[in-house]
Amino acid sequence: MLQVQNIEKYYGSGNHVTKALDRVSFEVEDGEFVAIMGASGSGKTTLLNCISTIDTVSAGRILLEGENIAELPARELARFRRERLGFVFQDFNLLDTLTIEENIGLALSLTHSDPGKVKAKVEAVAKKLGIEGILMKFPYQVSGGQKQRAACARAMVAGQSLILADEPTGALDSRASKNLLEIMTHMNQAFGATILMVTHDAYSACYARRILFLKDGRLFNELLLGEQSRSAFYHEILDVLALSGGDISDGI
Amino acid sequence: MTVSKLSIRNARRQAGDYLVYFVTIVLVASLTYAFNGLVFSQELLALSRQMAMVPPMIVFASIVVVGIISWLVAYTTRFMLLRRSREFGTYILIGLENEQVARMFFLENLAVGGCALCLGILLGNLLYQALRAIVLALFGMSYHFSFFFSGKAVALTLTYFVLIYLSAQLKSRRKIRKMRIYDLIYLERQNEREVVKSGRGRRVLFAGSLVLGTLGTLLLLTGDLAACLTGACLVIFFLYGFFISFASGVPAFFEKRPARKYRGQRLLVFRTLTAKLGTMGVLMASLALLFLGTLAAEGMGMVFQGMFQSRTNKNNCFDLVLAAEDPKVESYRDSKAYIAEKIPLKEDREYEIYLMDTDKIMAYTEVHTMYYRYYGRDAVMKESDYRALRAMLGYEDVACKPGQYLIHCLPYMADALQGFSEELVFGDASLTPGGVHTEVFAQHLYDYGNGGDFILIVPDALLEGYPVSHTMYVAMTREPVSEAQYKGICTIRDQIFEEREDPLEDSLLYASDMDEAQAASQTAMSVFPLFYLALVLTMTAATILTIQQLGEAGRYRMQFALLWKLGMDKKEMRRALRMQFAIYYALPAIPPVLVGAPLIRNMASQVEPGTMVGASDPLAITAMALGLFFLIYGIYIVLAYSSLKRSVLPE
Ligand SMILES: Nc1ncnc2c1ncn2[C@@H]1O[C@H](COP(=O)(O)OP(=O)(O)O)[C@@H](O)[C@H]1O
Ligand SMILES: [Mg+2]
Repeated sequence: MLQVQNIEKYYGSGNHVTKALDRVSFEVEDGEFVAIMGASGSGKTTLLNCISTIDTVSAGRILLEGENIAELPARELARFRRERLGFVFQDFNLLDTLTIEENIGLALSLTHSDPGKVKAKVEAVAKKLGIEGILMKFPYQVSGGQKQRAACARAMVAGQSLILADEPTGALDSRASKNLLEIMTHMNQAFGATILMVTHDAYSACYARRILFLKDGRLFNELLLGEQSRSAFYHEILDVLALSGGDISDGI
Repeated sequence: MTVSKLSIRNARRQAGDYLVYFVTIVLVASLTYAFNGLVFSQELLALSRQMAMVPPMIVFASIVVVGIISWLVAYTTRFMLLRRSREFGTYILIGLENEQVARMFFLENLAVGGCALCLGILLGNLLYQALRAIVLALFGMSYHFSFFFSGKAVALTLTYFVLIYLSAQLKSRRKIRKMRIYDLIYLERQNEREVVKSGRGRRVLFAGSLVLGTLGTLLLLTGDLAACLTGACLVIFFLYGFFISFASGVPAFFEKRPARKYRGQRLLVFRTLTAKLGTMGVLMASLALLFLGTLAAEGMGMVFQGMFQSRTNKNNCFDLVLAAEDPKVESYRDSKAYIAEKIPLKEDREYEIYLMDTDKIMAYTEVHTMYYRYYGRDAVMKESDYRALRAMLGYEDVACKPGQYLIHCLPYMADALQGFSEELVFGDASLTPGGVHTEVFAQHLYDYGNGGDFILIVPDALLEGYPVSHTMYVAMTREPVSEAQYKGICTIRDQIFEEREDPLEDSLLYASDMDEAQAASQTAMSVFPLFYLALVLTMTAATILTIQQLGEAGRYRMQFALLWKLGMDKKEMRRALRMQFAIYYALPAIPPVLVGAPLIRNMASQVEPGTMVGASDPLAITAMALGLFFLIYGIYIVLAYSSLKRSVLPE
């Protein structure tokens, strides 16, 4: 589904070059739930932006379903984002002029899919995510957790195959975080959505089935949930963090 | 939801969020339409041949307005693009093409601009009636409602608006096409950079700009063209230098003086302000320049208005006046014959103006007023003529008491002449002052007229043997003199003058009705465009300031919510907000007022003496120009304050 091959990313020019990503390579299979962990500044957002076509790489290749995204023309790229990719941001990124329902359905309706079916599709997804009661409200009228669930609904309503989430729990309290993570797990297990989530928080990361660790732009470790329990996985994560110098996860 | 539906919804939001901008565009559209109505009004243009000069002047002013409003629209569009970059980024992120987003924004602006234009034209019809009432009043006619709607005026207004919007829209469209999502989502905004960084450079610039500003203002006051141009350049330098150095210097000032910083709400007020001003230096200077332009235009408009008004007020008593040094010249004789033949008269009279052998009164008035002399010696007329003329004009009868002379003069020298107590000698009689009269009496016709600004009146017998300065012929007509009649006399005179080698006019023709029509036309042609410009300039600058201020609403809200939690009470918050507002809006207005007020006063004082009197007194004009400016500016400030207060202060 997703192949990241030796990508590098530099910011700035001349004497002030920051190397944000350094020869990063990994693969994500269909239906996986992968977390990428790293301290603030380790390059997580940069990595996600490169994959999501928001940003471009300096070197290396990113293949999405076998296609090199750097080679897609702009129009194809737009279609790609519309049909294949879903995004969830830390700060929700919902449009405050639109109701929750319209936010979710916007991409669908703008792509000229059958307008009669948009509402039904939106309602179906909303029901799965438990937000059918707030569809008529505007983003500023609902809680952070509900907003983030709306963002998740938007990220999957068009049947997108890869959902990219950048610190989705970053702006939520612990209960809303737990709720959201459970919903993401459900999205992954029940609907087969492939999820790539970036976080600096071990509690969020332990909901994934595989974790990649990023430090100073490089991948340095990988953990698999395997058959163990979630709490065992959580402690395993903490061990890795402790080994790597302990500065990765603040807030614990 | 389709692209166009979303555009409409965003348009509604835009009209709400940028209400001040929307209202300004509506007002500008209505002003433009109303003035265009004047350009195409058959009714008003037919009032006088002179009115033909009005349309070109208004079109010229409109072109300047189009330039200014284009700037406003481009500025606001850029501001919105910056503010809403994240929103646009989100559209692209969920799969819209840049092209689609660009089209969406274009449609949105088209909707907003279209609505503004429609509302503006509706409102413009009302405004046009107001303009029409003013023009009719200028021509001394009574106003009666008559519906006016001109397709041509609509078309011209539409053309202007297409021009205004086209450049801004093309630019924003190009910008959106080139936008990358990354920039949109992560670079919320890039502000203007501070231009001057170092403390020393700033101080030098600040001091230097003040010196240049003072020098520039003084040069502007000289009235000499070259000096004025230099002065204008210096004032422009001053404004930019001042605002660039001042805005970025305030934080440094308070860094060095912590005791002042922590007094009362200053910290809060100044931190918020300087965060804004530090990056707004260049913009502030441009806005100050617009304000200065407003004041200059308003002042000039009022000076012109005063000039035209008072010029007719000095002369417009007799319906027709002819005058010549030698009544036997062809131009005088033929004109008089034409009048006698073609124009039905109520009354007329021919008489002489004499010259005394001294210039005592002129010498006296030169000292005590700003009198400018026309003749070598004092002018004088016979009592019998004077009394007959007064009767003709319906003025109260006055007579010379034995041993006394009378003076009739323009109002501005009356006070001084009341104090003139010298005896005047005529042959072997000697007369004392017997009173001063100031009714309108055709006394400002340059070489001719009933004296130049003043005349003496003495018993007929005393003037035996005195030299005649010129002969006057005055008449009251049954009907107002028509343009055709006036043209008839002029044609005769023009023929006579053209046939000569030296086309010098040896006689004078004056018609009150024509003079009034001319003054009215000149007022319409100069004062209207100036006020049109002044209004647009103030509204543009006030709108930009307000947009900037309201753009900070989100930050203010967070700040005040925090302060509320920290225990600041609401009254104090309101005070802090008010203070912030006062300083923010006062800053760009102070330098233009300091330069503009003396400038207006000076302009008004340059005009001939006796012209700028009463409501047109230089001080009065200065006060009115400032008043008008602050009135419009104030409305914007109050609107901005009330809307910000509601959205920013916690409940
Ligand atoms: N636009 C940019 N310009 C320059 N440097 C950047 C930019 N964005 C990120 N960086 C740098 O790249 C590194 C990785 O940043 P980022 O991917 O945002 O980290 P994370 O999301 O893990 O906190 C950091 O050192 C950051 O300072
Ligand atoms: Mg990040």
